[in-house]
Parts: sequence; C-alpha cells; structure tokens
Amino acid sequence: MQAKVSKEIQLNKYSQMDDNIKAKDRIIAWPRMGRIDIPLKALLLTLGAKVVIPPANSKETLELGVKNSIEGICLPYKLNLANYIMALESGANTLMMFQAPGSCRLGNYTKMAQKTLKKMGYEFDMVIFDMYKSKMKQTLQAFWHVTRCINPFKYYKAFSLGFNKFFAIDEAEKQMFYYRPREIRKGEAEKYYNKWLKIIDETNTIMGAKTLVKKIKKDFKNIEIDGKKNVPVVYLLGEFFVLLDPYTNQNVEKVLGEMGIEVQRQIMFSGWLEHVLKPSIFYNKESHRERCVRYAKKYMKRAIGGECIETIGDTVYAAQNGVDGVIHLMPFSCMPEIVSQNILSKVSKEEDIPVITLVLDEQTGKAGYITRIEAFVDLVKRKKYKNQNKNLRERTTV
Amino acid sequence: MLEQKKIGIPRAISYYNNYPFYYGFFSELGFEVILSDKTTTGLINNGSECVVSDTCLPIKVYVGHVLNLLDKGCDTIFVPSLQSTAHKINNCSKVRGLPEIIRNVVNRRFNMIEPTLDKTEGIGIKEFCKDIANQLKIYDNDIINLAMKKGWQMYDNFVQMAKSGISHQEAMQNAISGKFSLKNIDVVKPLSVVIMGHGYNLFDERISMNILKKLEKMGVKVYTGLNVSREEAMDAIQDIGEIQYWANELDLTGAAAYYMQKRKVDGIIALSAFGCGPDSLMVDEIQYHAKNKNIPMIVLTIDEHTGEAGFITRLEAFVDMLIRKKRKLIAEKANLKHMPEKINQNKEQVFLTRA
Ligand code: SF4
Ligand code: SF4
Repeated sequence: MQAKVSKEIQLNKYSQMDDNIKAKDRIIAWPRMGRIDIPLKALLLTLGAKVVIPPANSKETLELGVKNSIEGICLPYKLNLANYIMALESGANTLMMFQAPGSCRLGNYTKMAQKTLKKMGYEFDMVIFDMYKSKMKQTLQAFWHVTRCINPFKYYKAFSLGFNKFFAIDEAEKQMFYYRPREIRKGEAEKYYNKWLKIIDETNTIMGAKTLVKKIKKDFKNIEIDGKKNVPVVYLLGEFFVLLDPYTNQNVEKVLGEMGIEVQRQIMFSGWLEHVLKPSIFYNKESHRERCVRYAKKYMKRAIGGECIETIGDTVYAAQNGVDGVIHLMPFSCMPEIVSQNILSKVSKEEDIPVITLVLDEQTGKAGYITRIEAFVDLVKRKKYKNQNKNLRERTTV
Repeated sequence: MLEQKKIGIPRAISYYNNYPFYYGFFSELGFEVILSDKTTTGLINNGSECVVSDTCLPIKVYVGHVLNLLDKGCDTIFVPSLQSTAHKINNCSKVRGLPEIIRNVVNRRFNMIEPTLDKTEGIGIKEFCKDIANQLKIYDNDIINLAMKKGWQMYDNFVQMAKSGISHQEAMQNAISGKFSLKNIDVVKPLSVVIMGHGYNLFDERISMNILKKLEKMGVKVYTGLNVSREEAMDAIQDIGEIQYWANELDLTGAAAYYMQKRKVDGIIALSAFGCGPDSLMVDEIQYHAKNKNIPMIVLTIDEHTGEAGFITRLEAFVDMLIRKKRKLIAEKANLKHMPEKINQNKEQVFLTRA
C-alpha cells in the first residue's frame, strides 16, 4: 500500500508535461538516432512546430557528452546528452526523449539528463515518448502537447508524410545494403542513397511521399552490378543506439559493404513503427519481437530488458535461414548485451553460424576494429565457399 | 521415499537478502537445502572461465557457486529470475537473466528450478512460489501456502534481527534455526559510516574483502541497508528528491539517503563492482547530495583483480580523514562554547584525543 501511494507522489513530482512554454514558442529537438530526423521533422513542421536538429554525432559530440556525464554511464547516454546540449545551444526549448524498445537504463537516463541540463543552467521542457508501450492515442497526445495543433487534416498529413518517409528511408537503406557489395563502380550505391535521402527530405506532398518506395526500388536498378559475384549475407544486431549510429559503430555497414558483404540490419525503423503504432487488430502479422521470442526459446525463456532477446532470436533465425554470419554490436558495460554476449557463444556453436561481438566505447581504436572485422569476414567467406563447394560436389556425384 | 530430496542454492546474488525465505519455503516443502561453499578465489576463477570477461564480478561469482553445487553432486539447483520487485522497479538485466546465463554458460546436465518474479507483469510472490513448487512437481496449494508462510516467518525474523544491529551472518543463522533475539544496546563508537552496496557485495567476505569487520576493527560503527526498513528507505529517497528506479535501490540510495538525512554518520562508503551499470547511477546521485551536505564519501570499486593491500590503504586513509575532520569539528565547537550534547561530546573528545 505504502509503495503505491509514494509512487503516485513521485509521478506527480516528476510529471514530464510542463506547460510553461507556449505552443507557438516551442522549438523542438530530439537525439540523433539513425535518420529519424527526416520523418520527424516533416511530421512536426506539418503540425506547425519549429524544430532544431543537432549535428550528426562526431568526435566533438562525444567529447561534449563525456565531459558532462559520469564515467560509468553507457555511451548512448553520453551522445544523447551532447545532442541535447547542442540543440539547446541553438535555441531549442523542448526536448523529446524516446523510450526505445528496451527498458533498461533509459528510464533513468531521462531523469539524469534532465537534472544535468538543469544544473548547467538550461531551461526547457522534456516530453517523453514511450514508443514501445504506448499506442496511437498517447502518441497523438504527446504531439498535441508540443504543437497544440487541432486541425485533423494536418494530423493526417503529418503522419502520412512521416510514416511514408520512414518507409522510404528504410527502403533506400535496404537497397544500398544490397547494391554496395555488388556495384561495379565503387561508391555508386551510396551516391544513390544520398540522393534519395535528399529527395525524401524535400518531398512535401502526401502523394509524393506515398510513391517514394516504388521510385526508390526502380531507380536503384540503374546501378550496374556484378551479377556473378558471390556475396555473403551478414546480420547486424545488438543495442539499438550503436546499431543506428554510424559514428559510434564506425560505419560498420559501409566497411562491410566494401569488403563485399551484404549487410542486413534487424532493427529497421518502419518495422518497429508498424508494430508500435498500428492498433493490434490491424496487425495480424507476427511482429519482429514475437518472432525473436519464438526463435530464442531454446536459449532464453524470458525477456530481460534491452534488446537481448532480439539479439538471440535474430541470431538463431539467421542461422536457420541461410545467413552467413552475425555481427553483434554493443556499448561497453551494456547490461542486457553482456547477457547476450554470454549466450551467443553457445548459439554460435550449436547453430553453426559465425558470430563476432564488437564492444564499442569511447576509445575504440579504428585499426584494431577493422582488423577484427576483416578476420571475421575472411572466416565467413571461407565457410561459405567451403559449403558451396561441398554442395556442388554432392550434386555432381548424385 | 528413501532419501530426502535436495535442492541446491548458490550462495550469491539473492541469497544475501532472501535466503531465510528460500530456506523456510524449501524445508517446509520437505527438501534438504544444500548451500554452496563460501566464495573463494578458486571458485571465482571457475566462474570467470565460463563467462565473457566484461561480465561483472558478482555474476562470475554466481556462476562459480552453481559449479560448486554441481561438484558437490547436487543436481537440482534453484536459479530464480527476479525481474521486478514492484511495479516498474526492475533489477539489472543480469540479475533478471540469471537462469538464461546459467543455462547457456554451464555445460553440464542438471535440473534448474527457475521461477520468475515480475511484479510489473503481475507475477507476485505467490505466483513465484507456485512456480517453484510446480517445477518440483508439487501441486497441492495448501502445502505451497504453508511453505510460503514458513518462508515469510523466517524472513521477517531475519529482517528484524538484522535491523536491530545483529550481524548479517548471525541474523541469518538465527533465522533459519528458529532463534530470535534483538540487539538492544548499541555500542557507542566515535565514528560511524554507512556503506551503500548490494547485499551480495557487502556480505560476501571475499568480494567485500571483509570490509565490515575491517571497519569495526578500526573503531568505526557501520550501517548498511539492513539497518533501514523498507519504508524508511523509500521515504529517504523521496526526501532527497530522487525516485526509486532499481530493485536494489533501497540497499544503496535508500540506506545512504537515510543516514545522510538523519545526519547520523560521518562518512559514506560506496562499494560497487567494476562495470556495474545501476551502481554508477546510484553512486553518482548520492555523491551529488553528499557534496551538497558536506559529508565525505569514498567509492570503492572491486573486481577479481583488486588487491587487498591497496584496498585497505584507501579505506584507512578515508577513516583517518574522517577522524581528523571530526576532531577539528569538536575542537571548533568547544571553542565556541556551544555544547548542547555536552556529555556525549566530552566522551568522544576524550576518546579521540587518546586514539
Ligand atoms: S541497453 Fe545498454 S546501452 Fe542501453 S541503456 Fe541499457 S545498458 Fe545502456
Ligand atoms: S547490479 Fe551491478 S553488480 Fe549486480 S549484476 Fe547488475 S551489473 Fe552486476
């Protein structure tokens, strides 16, 4: 009983929805997570809000983050904090925080970031989006809170733009992942990708946004490829932020693509969004998470926070679906992913799939990192060719 | 049935806070409870070999204890998953995933009893106990309820005894052998500190390098989370303007905040495992408040390579500093002729000048 009462008091005390900033004065910012900035910007602008987008993560971002946070806290927090500081410096007064799928230290993050920023003298309002648990209604409420927009058509337009841009970005990424290892002219796939990002960003009509995916698919076909090239497929998985941030993971997607590997990333925004925002009656497909729980069963019987069960489930799925290897990314001292790392060595053995864990911290040296990836790629290729030769021999002898 | 059925409980992680409950519950169900041996360096090494090196020390220790039980020939082992202890009050992922870790890193055949406690999802102690019993093929609800009652009884006794100041080990011994005693007279010591740390770090003599006894020997009165009730700890956390987020927070932030607010202690010691996520947050919170209140604080981090010599040196230096600070304070107060607690202070003064 006691616990219940005090919790309510706490909730009130820390209630996130301050109202001391008028909607028209709001300038909204959020941390960097992949290219979420493009769709979110479109969404908020359509609702009549102003936004600030902090620069992409870099050495400066990291230094700023490290300087202002405690040592033991995880890398994603440090980067998020720096994003906030930079945004506040350029005029933001409303910060959005996303509760990503895992429910690990994130709850604590927000509280701490708030405290730190207030201590530094900034004034702002923080709005929390629980993207994982909340459904459409709460999401709308949160957007209403920051924009006070009451025009339903604008909501329709905003969400339709936002969603379609999400899907378009995912599509462009997927295409790039496919074409990069196969392209004849080095760098072409990336050029296409960047071109499309710009187009996606500039698209302003619902119709335009809706046709993006189709156009992207068609356009990438213009890239000339080496059709006979033997391209192994590698899954990228692990902790959400490092997976989506090219600065922290040292652009591992590109590194692999250039080594002739097709990467597939399991956390894609649209998949996540679909599962989160669509009312469950319209959603009868098995969600990504449900699939993970099913595949992880042999090794894990329960989710333990963070993306641990996704990591394990996807690895098993990869092994059983002809994927050639798995790269597991995690920030240093990430609690759920340490559990994953411990379990993965067994999964790798029993499912017979090469797995490597890359631990990212502030000082990950580029040279050692690339060497490890190279060695892994060698292993994956050798294994793939060996199996292929074996299959070939079997077929010819029959 | 010829032989009594056995259940093994690793002397690690939740053992330190919950063992009396586990003991009462299992023995009432008719099981002989087998405990693993006390933590030793060898045991830690065995555990470390099974897990990746970035894993925190307490988990390595836990794995070591499971192996120890297996070596003793015990093949039914209790490995609970304590997900959350109240709504949205979670444990660290590694504690939540103990059965998952053990299942995948210990390559031996045994029967793992792995119940889940997850109050966020409405899986409370009752369901937890039923889960255990069912996994042991006991389905009679009356028997289960009775066992639960026994567990609670032992647990409550333990908590009361420990709160009154009886040492962790003694309180646990008493509780499981059905004895009950309270410590009424508190020995007055010139200095007092509160240690914030997980039970599995503080009361494991190998992990904590016996810090409690060492401090007692230096003449320091030590308080821990055991000396603070649940409610007191929760109120204290609120008092300093924080919110509880972690299941273990009461033993850490709660204890520290309580003694900080009551101004009962001269210093705060944080004992945490290297690379521990939750601790880094909680310790930081307390450091912030301790600084504001001008209470000295030291953070001791341990891993399997921590040398005892360096550890003691740091501890002694901290205690020396506390003594100096207190002497100065008393001297100042004496000069000001402002002595509200005359008798007490004089006593302390005499002791300190002699020491
Ligand atoms: S999942 Fe890992 S990186 Fe994310 S908050 Fe938890 S510990 Fe930090
Ligand atoms: S709370 Fe800290 S010490 Fe305990 S298991 Fe988690 S990381 Fe390890």
